[in-house]
Amino acid sequence: MRRALTILTGNPLTLTGLVLVALVVLAAALADVLAPFPVHRGAVVDFVNFNKPPSSDYWMGTDLVGRDLFSRILYAYRISLILCAVVLAIAVPVGVVLGVMAGYLGGWWEYGLMRVTDVFLSIPPLVLAMSIMGVLSPTLVNGMMAVTAMWWPWYTRLVYNITRGEKAEGYVLAAEVIGATRAHIMFREILPNCVPAIVTKMTLDAGFVILIVSSLSFLGLGVQPPTPDLGSMVAEGAKYLPDSWWLSVFPGLAILIAVFGFNLIGDGLRDILGAHR
Amino acid sequence: MSLLEVRNLTLSFRLWSGIVDVLHGIALSIAKGERVALVGESGSGKSVTARIVLGLLQDLPGAQIGGEVRFNGRDLASLSRHEREALRGRDISMIFQDPTSSLNPVYKIAPQFREVLARRTPRITLAEARERATALLQEVAITEPARVLDSYPFQLSGGMNQRVMIAMALANRPALLLADEPGTALDVTVQAQTLDLMARLVADHGTSVLFISHNLGVVREFADRTYVIYRGRIVEAGPTQAVFEAPGHAYTRALMAAQPRLTGGALPDIVERDPRFFDPVVLHGVPGC
Amino acid sequence: MSLIGQGLQRLGTALLVLFGVSMLIFAVARVIPGDPARVALGPNATAEQVLNLRTALRLDEPIVKQYVAYMADLLRGDLGDSLYTNRPVTTDIAEFLPATLELVLVAGVLMVGIGLPLGILAARHRGRWPDHLVRVVSLLTVSAPGFVWAVVLMLIFAYGLQWLPIAGRLSDDIDLVRVTGFLTVDALLAGDWRAFLDTCRHLVLPALALALSGIGQAARLTRANMIETYDKPYIEMAQAYGFSRGRIARAWAFKPSLIPSLTIIGLDFAAMLGNAFLIEAVFGWPGISRYGVNVILRKDLNAIVGTVLIIAAMFILVNIIVDLLATWLNPRIRHAEARG
Repeated sequence: MRRALTILTGNPLTLTGLVLVALVVLAAALADVLAPFPVHRGAVVDFVNFNKPPSSDYWMGTDLVGRDLFSRILYAYRISLILCAVVLAIAVPVGVVLGVMAGYLGGWWEYGLMRVTDVFLSIPPLVLAMSIMGVLSPTLVNGMMAVTAMWWPWYTRLVYNITRGEKAEGYVLAAEVIGATRAHIMFREILPNCVPAIVTKMTLDAGFVILIVSSLSFLGLGVQPPTPDLGSMVAEGAKYLPDSWWLSVFPGLAILIAVFGFNLIGDGLRDILGAHR
Repeated sequence: MSLLEVRNLTLSFRLWSGIVDVLHGIALSIAKGERVALVGESGSGKSVTARIVLGLLQDLPGAQIGGEVRFNGRDLASLSRHEREALRGRDISMIFQDPTSSLNPVYKIAPQFREVLARRTPRITLAEARERATALLQEVAITEPARVLDSYPFQLSGGMNQRVMIAMALANRPALLLADEPGTALDVTVQAQTLDLMARLVADHGTSVLFISHNLGVVREFADRTYVIYRGRIVEAGPTQAVFEAPGHAYTRALMAAQPRLTGGALPDIVERDPRFFDPVVLHGVPGC
Repeated sequence: MSLIGQGLQRLGTALLVLFGVSMLIFAVARVIPGDPARVALGPNATAEQVLNLRTALRLDEPIVKQYVAYMADLLRGDLGDSLYTNRPVTTDIAEFLPATLELVLVAGVLMVGIGLPLGILAARHRGRWPDHLVRVVSLLTVSAPGFVWAVVLMLIFAYGLQWLPIAGRLSDDIDLVRVTGFLTVDALLAGDWRAFLDTCRHLVLPALALALSGIGQAARLTRANMIETYDKPYIEMAQAYGFSRGRIARAWAFKPSLIPSLTIIGLDFAAMLGNAFLIEAVFGWPGISRYGVNVILRKDLNAIVGTVLIIAAMFILVNIIVDLLATWLNPRIRHAEARG
C-alpha cells in the first residue's frame, strides 16, 4: 500500500491527477467559503449584472439571469461529486456481488445474470440512461437512480471474468477441499483478488459518471434548474455562442479538469496494479 | 587474423539508483570456422556480450560500453549506427532460445523468410523468397518445405521451428552465428538432433559460431574452444577438452560438479559466492590466430 | 466451429438479447406516471378524446397483452405511429437514421485513421517527447464529453476562424435529391461537385467532435498494445536481423498489436452511436439521435421504443462484426482446427 502510494506520487502525470482531483474535492467541500456569491447557487436574479463577461467582480462572468458563474461552478462540483459517490457506492457493491456469484456458482445463476448483464450492456450507456430518464420525471434523484441502475452491469461483467479465471486456482480448490462455505470462498478468497481491478475501474468511472451525468443534464434530462450542473450550464451557454462564450467555456473546462484528474489517477493505478482485461 | 576479437569489454548501466557494472573486461576471440562456447550461469553476462557483438545494446540509453569489439578487423564503436545495422542479419546472425516465440505469430513462415532474405536482396519478391527458402529448408532436413512455408509458427512443433530458425539464420551466409541457448526450450532428444544439424551446417559453410549456454554437456559436444564466464569476468579459457578434463579455476570446478549425473546422487549446489571464484583467469594453451 | 457458424450463433444470441432489450424498454416506457395520451393531445383535450386515444393505443390493456401486440406489429414491420410527428415511426427512422449513420461512419474513419498512427508513433518513440505529447493529448480528449469538444471546435473553427459552417448538413442554397439519405453519396450520384464539397464541409466539425474521444482512446490502446508487443521475443529477433525500425513499427509489431485493440476500438465505434446524441444537439444535425431526444422528452412511446430498438440493434450488430473480424484476423483462432 505504501509502495503504491510512493509510486503514484513519483509519476508526474499521476501526481498532477491527484492534485487536480484534490483541488476539485476541496472546491466542492469548501464551496460555501470559497464562493464569492454563495447564494447564486439557487434561484436568484440580478438583471443589472446579467450576461457579463469575466471581470474582477465576477471571475468567470455571469449567466443570463445575473448569477456568478464561478460560484455556480463550485456548487456544481459539489453536486457532481456527491452524485459520483452515491452512484458508485450503490452500483459497485451490487455489481460486484452479482459478478462473483455468477462466476463462482455457475449454472442458472451464471446464465441468468450474464444474460441480464448482456441486455444492459448492449445498449449504449447514454441511450439507456436517457430512455430511463425519459420516462421518469427529470429530477436529480431520478437521474441518480437511472445512472446507478445502468452502472452495476459493468462491474458484474468485470468481476465475473476475473472470478471465472480464479475459480481454477489452487487456493480456491484448497478452500473447497477443507469444506469452506461457498460464501466464504466467494467473499473471503476470490473477492480480494478482484480488488485491484475494481479500484482502478472505480477511479476511471468517477470521471465517466461525471461525463454521463453532465451529458444527461446537457440534454435536459438530468439535474434541473436552478440547481447548478456543469452539463446544463454548457447547454444553456451553447445557444449564445460566440458572444457569451464564457457561459459554455468555463463549465466545459471545469468538466475537463475534473475528469482529466480522475483519468490520470486511474491510469497510474492501472500501471501499478496491472491491467485486467 | 580472428573474425571476432573482443578486448577488455566493459558494460555499465546508468540507473536512477546508481551505476551497475555488468561486464568487467571480457576478452575473447573467434577465428574463421571456429566454434567457441561461452559458458556460465544466468546473469553471468553471457547473453549481454552476444548482444553487444550484434550492436543491439549500443543505442540503449544509459548503457556505457568500453573496450574493443572488432569484427573483421573493424572496431564496432567506430562504425555509425547505420553501418552496425548493416552487419546484422547479413554478416552476423543470431538464433534464440525459444524458437516458437521468436517467430512472428501472425505471419506465415514464407513472408518471414522474405524479410530475412531481403537483408541481402532488398527487392526480393515473395515468389523468389519462397524458392530460396525451399532450398534452405531442405538443408535443415525439412521434408515438406511447402507445407512449412504456408504455416504459422504455432502450427509447427518446437523442433520444426528451431530448424526453421537455423535455416533463417544461415540464409544470408553469415560469417558469424551467435547461438543463445539453442534448443533449451526443446526436449533433450530434439535438442541433440538440432545441434547435430547445426554442427554439420556450420562446418559445410565455414561459419564461425559463438555458442552461449549453461549446459556443459552440450558445450562439450559442440565447441572447439570454451570460455567460462562468472559475474562479468572470464575465469577460464582454452580448448574444450582441456577445460573439461583439467578445470583449473575454482568456479569452473564448482560448475562441473553441479551438473546432474546419470549415476544418481543429489544435485550439489553452487555456492552463491566464494572468494576463490574471483581468482585470476586460468588459460589453457595459447588461443590460435 | 467455422466462422459462419460462429456468426450465426452470435446472431442468435443477439436476437435473444434484443428481445430482452425490447421488453426492458417496453416496460420502462409503459410504466410512467402521467398519461401519454393526454400529453399528446394537450391540456385542452376533452375526456372523450383522451379515452379514444387511449383505446387506440391500447393503453388500458394488460401490459403483457400490449407487449405481444407490439411485437406482432413489429414482425410485420410496423413500429406504430409517432405522436410527435404523426407519421409511422418507420418513416421517421428512415428519414433520420442515414444522417446519423453518415456522421458515425465518417467519425469512425477519423478514429482509425488518426488514432492508430498516433498510437504507433507514440510507441515507436517511447519515453521521448512524441510519446508524452500523444499520451497527454489523448487523455485530454477522452476527459471531456463530446459536447464540450463540439462547443470548443465550433467556437474556434466556425465562429472564430470562420473556416467551416456552423450547423446543419447542407447550405440553404443547395438543392439535393435524397436517394440514399447519405448526402455525400447522393451528391456523387447526382454528379454535383459543389454539393459534395458542401456536405463534406458540414461534416468535418461534427464528425471530428464525435470522433475526438474515440481517437484518444484508439491512440492510447494502440500505444499500450504496441509497447507490450515490443517486449516480445520476435521483435528482438527482428532487431537482431537488422530489419529497419520503420519496418518493425509498421509491419512486424503493428499487426500483432492490432488484434487485441480491435475489440475495444469496435466498442468505441459502437459507443459513438450513443454519443451522437450530444453532437447532433450542438450542431443541429437532423439525425436519429436528435429525434430520439425529442421523442423522449415528449414521452412519445412508440417512437421511443422504436428508436431505442434500432440503436440497440445496430450497436449489437457492430459488436458482432467486430468480434468476428477479430476472430478472423487472429490466425491462432482461425486455424484452431487445422493443427499441424
